[in-house]
Amino acid sequence: MTIERPAPPPGPNETDDGSVMQKRMDRRRALGVLFGGMAAGAQAVSACAPISAMSDEEREVKLLAWREYIKGNYQFMTEAERAETIARLERLAQVKRGLDVTIQSTGAQPGVVFGYAFNISKCKGFRSCIEACINENNLDRRAATQYIRIFEMADGVIDLDHADATFQHEVPAEGHFYMGTQCFQCADPPCVKVCPVGATWQEPDGITVIDYDWCIGCRYCMAACPYWARRFNWSEPEVPAALVNPNQHYLGNRQRKMGAVEKCHFCIHRTRQGRLPACAEACPTGARVFGNLLDPNSEIRWVLANKRVFRLKEDLKTEPRFWYYTD
Amino acid sequence: MRRRGAATMWRVALLATAVGCGDLRRASVTDTARAIAPAAAMMDTLANATREPGALATVLAAPVQHWSGPGARPFEVTLRTADPTTALSRRFGMITLRTSLRTRAPDLNQYPCTSCHLGNTILADRRAAGAHENIRPVHPAQTGAVCSTCHAPGNVDLLALRSGERETLDHTYRLCAQCHFSQAESWAGGAHGKRLDGWQGRRVLMGCADCHDPHKPALEPRIPFRAPQLERAGGRSP
Repeated sequence: MTIERPAPPPGPNETDDGSVMQKRMDRRRALGVLFGGMAAGAQAVSACAPISAMSDEEREVKLLAWREYIKGNYQFMTEAERAETIARLERLAQVKRGLDVTIQSTGAQPGVVFGYAFNISKCKGFRSCIEACINENNLDRRAATQYIRIFEMADGVIDLDHADATFQHEVPAEGHFYMGTQCFQCADPPCVKVCPVGATWQEPDGITVIDYDWCIGCRYCMAACPYWARRFNWSEPEVPAALVNPNQHYLGNRQRKMGAVEKCHFCIHRTRQGRLPACAEACPTGARVFGNLLDPNSEIRWVLANKRVFRLKEDLKTEPRFWYYTD
Repeated sequence: MRRRGAATMWRVALLATAVGCGDLRRASVTDTARAIAPAAAMMDTLANATREPGALATVLAAPVQHWSGPGARPFEVTLRTADPTTALSRRFGMITLRTSLRTRAPDLNQYPCTSCHLGNTILADRRAAGAHENIRPVHPAQTGAVCSTCHAPGNVDLLALRSGERETLDHTYRLCAQCHFSQAESWAGGAHGKRLDGWQGRRVLMGCADCHDPHKPALEPRIPFRAPQLERAGGRSP
């Protein structure tokens, strides 16, 4: 898929408020300038009764929300545009919810492709990873969204059709083993191919990310994913303010919205700073190994070289970067 | 075995103190040096013992050295099978990652042992009924081990290896690996146990006893986490 790059941002001689009609610009930018200018102008002129009746803060929120509404796709934003939208999002979080969040736009490190390995001999089904994921990634508490599922299966055969991901009994259960799934960050991701608007793409470090504000909620990607890794927000996601993780990434765990798709992003806000994903750090059994596939000295490379590994539904050729291994 | 063939490929992180050679005869020469060394290691352990236990932020580097620069031969760690006189030694790779070991002493609530145990005797005035009642000797019962199989009789703050060496409680891997060598191999490679502090830069290795109770090594069963759900407001179901 090719996406036309929008027109460059206005240069130093072009200002937002003047001579809109003389400039060549795309429709999105033109609308933004027109309506943004109107809202801003209303503060001074008070020409429009509903807007002038607002408090300064309400007017600011309206303006920020409008600018957010007409912003572009994160992939094609300039650094300045990214900084602007992040400043708007942080301000909105503060005004609307009183939250001091920090949203990163940290890019991929050169020479890094992330890989994950999961030891099905070691996992005991405690679900500590799920708990850590929910807390770390500001997952919708009302809908009880989970990126990770832990399947319980009878020993002997990997049969996900007859696996139970809702077990409530004491674990590990006799004669059973446990296998966790999440987004496998495929090297050839079918979800990216089907997106009609380019709202999801693969980053250079192998993480498939979503621009939640560009997503139109068509859910093609959810149909395309053979691993049921993606989650849809049927309602406005709700996270109690006290539980919000303020360390956020634009492509990661920032506030999502109703009608957008989300999924595991290998804790992009942590892993791009050299930390482990929350699930790997939380696992009490050490069943989760995370690292750089391009570093021959990494733990993940040792697992791939020395352990018997397999990937789920490998015949689909999606090339997941998530391996299962046994002791 | 496939893994032994790949021995030279184990360029993976390994720990600390290291005996330094695959040759057992040379190892026994270093024993004398090691018998003296624990005093220094002990000091570090005791210094760490004043820190607050538990949290990741207080994880401290055990007395380890780092491999400095290319060309210099990094340490090797030799872990032996049960019988040091006949068994083959296994080399678990060279240190190419900066690693350190999680210090255990702050987590032990009856440490140092010498506050009660003096040599082979127990200080009579501090004798307490049920002092070790939290210990469930499942593993000794399974294997026929007694206290002195693992604890050094002369100084219970130290572990006794089969080779006659002494080791601090931080370096439990050397003791456990005498029997559990496949686990030790995986642990050295990064496939068993846990490593903290990120995938990049320094790793903090959790030792055997950080997860496994040495006297009852199997993990306890538990009720799995279940996500709490907010109350649904109104009749609108998504």
